Amino acid sequence: MNTSRPLYKPFALDPSGLAHLIVTSLDTPPEGIEDSFDNIEVWTVKHAGPGVPVLAAGGIRPFRSTTEQLAQLGHRLGRMTAGLRFYAIGSEAFIWDAYNIAIAAGMHPSEIFLHRAGPFVRRVYCSHCRTMVEDVPANIVTCPSCEASLFVRDHFSRRLAAFMGVKVDAEVPGEVPAAEVFTS
Amino acid sequence: MKLSLKPQETYRDDYTFSNSDEAILRFPFPFPEDGYMYSVNMEPHVRGGATPVYDKVFDVDEHYIGDMADRAITLDQDPLRCQVLPHMETAEWDTLELLMESLANDYPEHFSLTKNGDKWHWINRPLEIDQTFTFGRKETLPYDPFEYITRQMQGDFSLQDQRDNNLYMDGGMVTSQADWSLNFDVGMSFHEWHGPVPLAHQAGVFDRALQYLLRLQYGKPVRRLNWTMTANPRLDTSPENYPLWGPEKAAITPENVGHRMCLRVELQTLHRLPRSNAILFSIRGYLIRLEELVKVKKWAVRMHRVIRDLHPQIAEYKGLPRYRQYVVDYFAPFDDGRTLNSGIAAEQDSI
Repeated sequence: MNTSRPLYKPFALDPSGLAHLIVTSLDTPPEGIEDSFDNIEVWTVKHAGPGVPVLAAGGIRPFRSTTEQLAQLGHRLGRMTAGLRFYAIGSEAFIWDAYNIAIAAGMHPSEIFLHRAGPFVRRVYCSHCRTMVEDVPANIVTCPSCEASLFVRDHFSRRLAAFMGVKVDAEVPGEVPAAEVFTS
Repeated sequence: MKLSLKPQETYRDDYTFSNSDEAILRFPFPFPEDGYMYSVNMEPHVRGGATPVYDKVFDVDEHYIGDMADRAITLDQDPLRCQVLPHMETAEWDTLELLMESLANDYPEHFSLTKNGDKWHWINRPLEIDQTFTFGRKETLPYDPFEYITRQMQGDFSLQDQRDNNLYMDGGMVTSQADWSLNFDVGMSFHEWHGPVPLAHQAGVFDRALQYLLRLQYGKPVRRLNWTMTANPRLDTSPENYPLWGPEKAAITPENVGHRMCLRVELQTLHRLPRSNAILFSIRGYLIRLEELVKVKKWAVRMHRVIRDLHPQIAEYKGLPRYRQYVVDYFAPFDDGRTLNSGIAAEQDSI
């Protein structure tokens, strides 16, 4: 087992929490929010038309992009109260970005819960030119900056929220194997 | 024995690096048996033992000047090969103290350290450095303390912070690595940075190694040997520059494998640091061309058996498959089927 890759449990609210902030990169709240919990706030990603926001309603606050959402997360966590539990749901890149923001805001790892959901896509760090390539669906991808065909190693950095990409045909240029679509 | 240093050699472009007969005989050959598998092969780092590179706390050899020049080139091109997270400053000074004291004690003809309270005077004769500074005041040095001293010591280094019952790689000087990236790995926990290593996770090697290292005591360093193979005597086999050195692997042929191919051995030592409680991990690399290695009969025979019988996943991880058969074929004529003694000693006094 490769243990640089974190393991994720199914989503569930933590009964010891007094308030719950659920941030997802998907357009709907996760299943499994039980009625018995109070003080639940859900952030989703959704827009009503090109550039048009969807208004918050019923404890659900949509953002037009994960970028907009994460940009506001630090501010929101800066005014948190004791007992808050924070949940991030989405791609590995998204949930670890959210994790790093929460840690920087002063939360303890035990107050943070991460759940991988949505399409199996990865953020890939180009080892050569340090570009981040977003939403990569398969284990070989071309770096949009330095143009290297990158093999995505099964090595994950929580700090960068990214997998390591290394030129796949460095030894014999052009010798690029067929890409395999991610299934996890 | 007095240490004499060679003039500057190169580890890139024309690759003038070579080992003297003395350097060949003191090479830390990593295979005590005819086969190889991952294990927690750590032992106390005490002076003396199966290879002369164990005689000093930090081993300096004839390649010192060339090693340091190559590090300077790599850092000039990519300063992020040296990174230390801000909370590790005490560990930086711990490192500087340990290295300066060890070098001055073990090689007084080359290095000297004089202390007058916190006013220190450091002389590094091979690199023509004469530095006075105030211990604990980094503005009195031309670089931050960890970078300052590791620009003057062979081998890579990483700094491990110990917290939450784990070790975190929160700093390093990494310019001669076997295909891993400090910029990618910095901040990772012990199991995270070992993530890509095959087989060993299942065997529990890292769980046991971590438990062992968490209990590492000040003044009782430990060591192990690790190895890989490198096409040409190149120090900078980094992921960052794989597009530069990758083609050199593909250029290995049965005709040039003996000259170009190198066995690369790491003497890894781990030292608990006194003030920070961090661990300094020294990864001291040694290169030897296969045509140099075969001058020691026992090693030539053993290399044939180890590489021939190596587990495919380990060969894959170490990047060997492209030229593995050439290496096996190169050593095969030396293997007359004799029984070899256990242990890594050369068992010959001259070449």
